[in-house]
Amino acid sequence: MTTSAPVHRIGRKAAALATSLLLGTGAGLALAPAAVADDGGSTLRMPITGIGIDSLNPFLAYFAGSLDVFAGIYPALDTVEQDGTVKPYLADSWTTSSDKLTWTFKIHKGLKWSDGKPITAEDAAWTFNLIMSNSTAATANGSLVSNFASVTAPDDTTLVVKTKKPQATMLSVSIPVSGIPIVPKHIWESHVKDLKSYKNDSFPIVGYGPWTLTDYKSEQYAKFDANKDFLLGAPKYDHMIEQSFKNTDAAVAALRSGQLDYVSGLNPTQYQALKGRSGIKAYEQVGNRWSGIEVNGGARTRDGKKIGTGHPALGDVKVREALARAIDRATIVKKVRNGLAEVGGSYLPQSLPQYAWQPSDSEKFGYDPAKANSVLDEAGYKKGSDGIRVDPKSKRKLEFRLGIHSDDDGDAKVSTYLTGWFKEIGVKVDIQSMSSAKLNADLAKGDWDILMDSWSTGPDPTYLLGIQTCSALPDSKGEGGSTDSFFCDKNYDNLFLRQQSAFDDKERADLLRQMQAILYKANENIMIYNASGLAAYRTDRVSGIVDGKANSAGAYPAQDSFHQYVNATPAKASSSSSGGNSGTLIGASAAVVVVLAAGGVFMARRRSSSDDRE
Amino acid sequence: MADTIDATGAVTAEPAAPRGGRRPGSGFARYLATKLVAAAVSFLATLVIGFVLFSLMPADPVQSITRGRPTSDAQMAQLRKQLGLDQSVPERFFHFVTDTLTGHLGNSWEFQQPVSSLISDRLWPTLLLMGTAMLISVALGLWLGVRSGWRQGSWLDRIATGASLTLWSVPTFWLGMILLITFSVGIGPIPGFLPAGGMSDPAITGGPDHVLDVAKHLVLPCLTMVLVVFAQYVAVMRSSIIDELGSPYLLTARAKGLRDDDVRRRHAVPNALLPSVTMIFMHLGTVLGGAITVETVYSWPGLGQLSYQALKVPDLPLLQGTFIVFSASVILMNLLADVIYRFLDPRVRAQ
Repeated sequence: MTTSAPVHRIGRKAAALATSLLLGTGAGLALAPAAVADDGGSTLRMPITGIGIDSLNPFLAYFAGSLDVFAGIYPALDTVEQDGTVKPYLADSWTTSSDKLTWTFKIHKGLKWSDGKPITAEDAAWTFNLIMSNSTAATANGSLVSNFASVTAPDDTTLVVKTKKPQATMLSVSIPVSGIPIVPKHIWESHVKDLKSYKNDSFPIVGYGPWTLTDYKSEQYAKFDANKDFLLGAPKYDHMIEQSFKNTDAAVAALRSGQLDYVSGLNPTQYQALKGRSGIKAYEQVGNRWSGIEVNGGARTRDGKKIGTGHPALGDVKVREALARAIDRATIVKKVRNGLAEVGGSYLPQSLPQYAWQPSDSEKFGYDPAKANSVLDEAGYKKGSDGIRVDPKSKRKLEFRLGIHSDDDGDAKVSTYLTGWFKEIGVKVDIQSMSSAKLNADLAKGDWDILMDSWSTGPDPTYLLGIQTCSALPDSKGEGGSTDSFFCDKNYDNLFLRQQSAFDDKERADLLRQMQAILYKANENIMIYNASGLAAYRTDRVSGIVDGKANSAGAYPAQDSFHQYVNATPAKASSSSSGGNSGTLIGASAAVVVVLAAGGVFMARRRSSSDDRE
Repeated sequence: MADTIDATGAVTAEPAAPRGGRRPGSGFARYLATKLVAAAVSFLATLVIGFVLFSLMPADPVQSITRGRPTSDAQMAQLRKQLGLDQSVPERFFHFVTDTLTGHLGNSWEFQQPVSSLISDRLWPTLLLMGTAMLISVALGLWLGVRSGWRQGSWLDRIATGASLTLWSVPTFWLGMILLITFSVGIGPIPGFLPAGGMSDPAITGGPDHVLDVAKHLVLPCLTMVLVVFAQYVAVMRSSIIDELGSPYLLTARAKGLRDDDVRRRHAVPNALLPSVTMIFMHLGTVLGGAITVETVYSWPGLGQLSYQALKVPDLPLLQGTFIVFSASVILMNLLADVIYRFLDPRVRAQ
């Protein structure tokens, strides 16, 4: 027993330490500032967008959280305004040569980086040239300059970009959030050799924008100070804090408890729970995302070699049409999205009304199981004794794998509806729930039949349309593809090339609509719904948040963080927050009392038993 | 484990420490040496298993990383090359083993940063959360376990057993959410007063205020961990005490006229403690792994969350890095347990 004594003592020490820790924590409750610690000025509290910030190095980072930060701290050549029009930012004006191959930007005079050095055209030229010439620097934004022949800065206020082919999307190359952020040459020059490992984390980061990044802790927060001289209008707040929340339920709790002023990416349940709550406005943003199914109509490489294990019957456009007609989209919108979505049709979402396209009534593959059955009957797919149709050519049953994302509960709900509807037309579905990684790996190899998928787009839809071109198919070795459904159509590709050099907006919109009509008829990407973006903010704390309604001209305002964060204004009345404070105090003191009482009882017992021992 | 206790019970009141004959020092050195070799072998084995496991995963992270971003073919190829995906599996294995043994954990694909710096960033938050939770769970669990076992069937026993088993079977995620809503948002008469997530309020910088702020952020995740974990200690400690109850040495102690409290604390508890010590070390080994669910619910920036993120891409170097750190900590704690057991349990020394 003597051997055990030390353990006993350790145990008692541990208990005492635990108690003191509890007490310490309790004291923390009482002493820590109840709400916001003001270090002078107002603070806007936002969540970090998406899954977070992967890097602060703008040449390497992909995550939405990073792009948001760069939009706030690095300048761009121009900006897409709230009404969708392109407006000057670093460049006051621009001209295009008659052959549409040379662009000349006039850079605004007298702007200064946050360390006081002047911002010149050379900074922009240097940034673009680095991305064009250095493969590491091209990691994040290389494709945006792939059509550039040369970029030069003949003087401090002139930037000349020469392109290989005419490029209608030139003004999207350097815009906040989705375009190339321009960095100060004098800071970055010395980091070219270690660009891959350079973390860009000496604060405050030298840049220019509505904000200056003053501090950052990975997976925790980013802190900003406002640039009160910002060219496009200073932020109304003095500081901004972006905090990382790994789950939306916690972010909602943080909004309600005052840790955040704004949350986005809510699911319908969270949205409806917040709606109508006093001091909070929950609103629907027009969706910039499609959700639907992709059908493997014949996975192949760029040179036409078949790959993968897709079901041969899905190569028949009639089978795909039947699938499209078997889906009751309105029911899914109602039951899965609680009505907070629009029935899908157009490949491009409603947030781009100038480009979105809808089928006419005669073209439409609406919900019509009878028609779907007759289409399959006519094409010779006879039902077997088990009610499942058989492909007359391959003699295989119409049994398809349906890949869904295991981390998406929407996928799970939609897929059960699909299973029932497809059964009605003699098609059996085997639901396979997979991680995104596995799903993507199978997709690239063509080892799939049907997948549920979802894509969003920024203000320029070129990329989203580009993944449906033949050149997005994998190479002859089956590698390097960026395709989504192995779609490949000569007419579509021709239109895609033409829209890239269509400088007249109406002409371009017309071409984009024709492309979407081709996609719609092929039924390899069957749109189901366009979900609304669901967000909420504290009306007692902040005003000026763009709430996603169309303006009088029918255009939807830009809803990205760049505009939100600049427009946000501290709310004047804050009567409810004082109530919150007293609540906090009461709660904190209650907790302290409980903890003290528990600790006291514990100590008392301890003492009484040690008395016993004497 | 129960067998050990029976055996301990059978040893009776004064377990004879076999001291004579051998010098404990030399014996200990040999004992330590064998344990060290065994630890090294298991570490190497986990390296191989880890590599094989992770190589089986679908590994084209380039698609996942670049999804939704404009990326040209050349760039994708370049990215694959940068990430070392163009190397063959044997090549990758060779680099993995040599790098690990020289202390390099590689570069994360997703974060484009050295894995070692990502891990060391997350180490402190995890240690803080799991360490505090462990301390409280052990103290609370052992204390309750002893009390309930000693007075089996008493009101304290019924409450403690019932409550701990209920809490143990509750899903951690759900419990976390309930606590979060109750204490951070507030329900009915309880106003919310604790932060909903994160490790600190960024607006509070430096000094004692920051420490208090972190403590405040620690309360809910720590409480969730404790509520889920302490039940195991209650259960194990309670059953070991019950096993000791009928032992002759306790009867002897009582016959000597010792007070009940003293019999319990000085005689029963030390003998019943071994299974719990084993469990403490087992838990200590997994402490670094963090608690993925708790860290996710409360956005706690720890290692559990990091490995979950790595798994989603999948980010092989980061996964392998966290895997190495977790395995190493388990192996190290087992080694430590073996060594400490020699001091705690005379029978181990006798072997």
